[in-house]
Amino acid sequence: MTCEQARIQMFGGGEGKDFADHLASCESCRNEVSRIGTLWQSLDLLPLEEPSGQVRERFYEMLGAYRQRLASAEPRKTVPWWQLAAAAALLAVGVGLGYIVRGTGPFSGQAPAEVSQLREEVANMRQLVALSLMQQQSASDRLRGVSWAYRAEPSDREVLGALVTAVNHDSNVNVRLAAVDALRRFSASPETGRAALQSLSKQTTPIVQVALIDLLVDLKDPEAAPELRRLSGNETANEGVRQRAQWALERLQ
Amino acid sequence: MAEVSAGQVARLAVLFERHHRALFRYFVSMNGDREQAEDLVQEVFFRMLRYRTSYDPAQSFTAWMYQIARNAGVDQVRKRGAVQVVDIDTYVERRAELVSASPGPEESASRGQDLALLRRAMDQLPEDKREILVLSRFQGMKHEDIAAVLGCEVGTVKVRVYRAIRALEQIYFALEKEKVS
Repeated sequence: MTCEQARIQMFGGGEGKDFADHLASCESCRNEVSRIGTLWQSLDLLPLEEPSGQVRERFYEMLGAYRQRLASAEPRKTVPWWQLAAAAALLAVGVGLGYIVRGTGPFSGQAPAEVSQLREEVANMRQLVALSLMQQQSASDRLRGVSWAYRAEPSDREVLGALVTAVNHDSNVNVRLAAVDALRRFSASPETGRAALQSLSKQTTPIVQVALIDLLVDLKDPEAAPELRRLSGNETANEGVRQRAQWALERLQ
Repeated sequence: MAEVSAGQVARLAVLFERHHRALFRYFVSMNGDREQAEDLVQEVFFRMLRYRTSYDPAQSFTAWMYQIARNAGVDQVRKRGAVQVVDIDTYVERRAELVSASPGPEESASRGQDLALLRRAMDQLPEDKREILVLSRFQGMKHEDIAAVLGCEVGTVKVRVYRAIRALEQIYFALEKEKVS
């Protein structure tokens, strides 16, 4: 056995008689095995990274959604988000042209039902794009999904639900922050305030907590006062968050 | 996985609980970004569902899972553009003198196991060398499984593990020498 063979053997068994014989007769390889072996062992001492709890939450949500889709009689065909976006844009152009034609052409004022149907289809398309993007694995795609949420109807509960899920569970702080901002579009819905309040009690990232507090102030939600009071008095909370909660309390009173 | 493949998708939860931490550590070791690593773990389990019928029960599950993980990682890099790779040969050459004069890791370890330095050395390893160390040491994979993941012979895996640990040693010494000076 050559020195090179012996050194490679160190990580591939290293118990053979040839290997032992070589080590017994080769000081250079003995030193190598000892030195490299120590480094190999010390790799075990490197601290282990732990994933956040959001990984588990997101996994079970994904698994639940997947099972639901399998269980449904007609599983929805997966369409790439960019195709949906293109379809939405085309539909929007169609609706715009429809308005122009209706205003000046021979059929002016005769097709309000068709136009209304087209508008509904545009809204559905926008909803699909937003929902589809917010389920992507890439954070930048999910951010794009949140920006599409601004184009959804303010009464769209599905998009509102997806935004709330993003605020509560997205692993990326930028997505969570963008989703909080996007919730303003749905400020007319009483669910928005409730969701923001529940999320505030779950969030641990100060910047997202502050964004949620600002949202609750903008919503003028009186039910937020107890939670804000608790937060402003919580000594373990971030100082900036506590001050913002105190400020919000004064604004709401 | 055979049960998942046969349609019992809820059983994926068992595999998730068993493997998600190891996968997370693999991705963090490879890209150093925790958030991206969490996204990639999610992507791997999603792909397991999507491609569950392609799983062959005769094949090692671990090897199959890491093949998916590698592909997901590669797709992520493609999406974000090329990554900067440290040219280890140039790096080591520039410090050849320092390396030859440096003490052994045993001595360094006895001086307090400079783990931060070891971590930095790992981060500076070229991606292919870091990957094979992560798979063989941190993930505790068999050489046969690593060979299946990387698409090479078992003998090649042994050689590459040895070269990777040697490269790690050289970077470690160089960093240690820099620290002292």
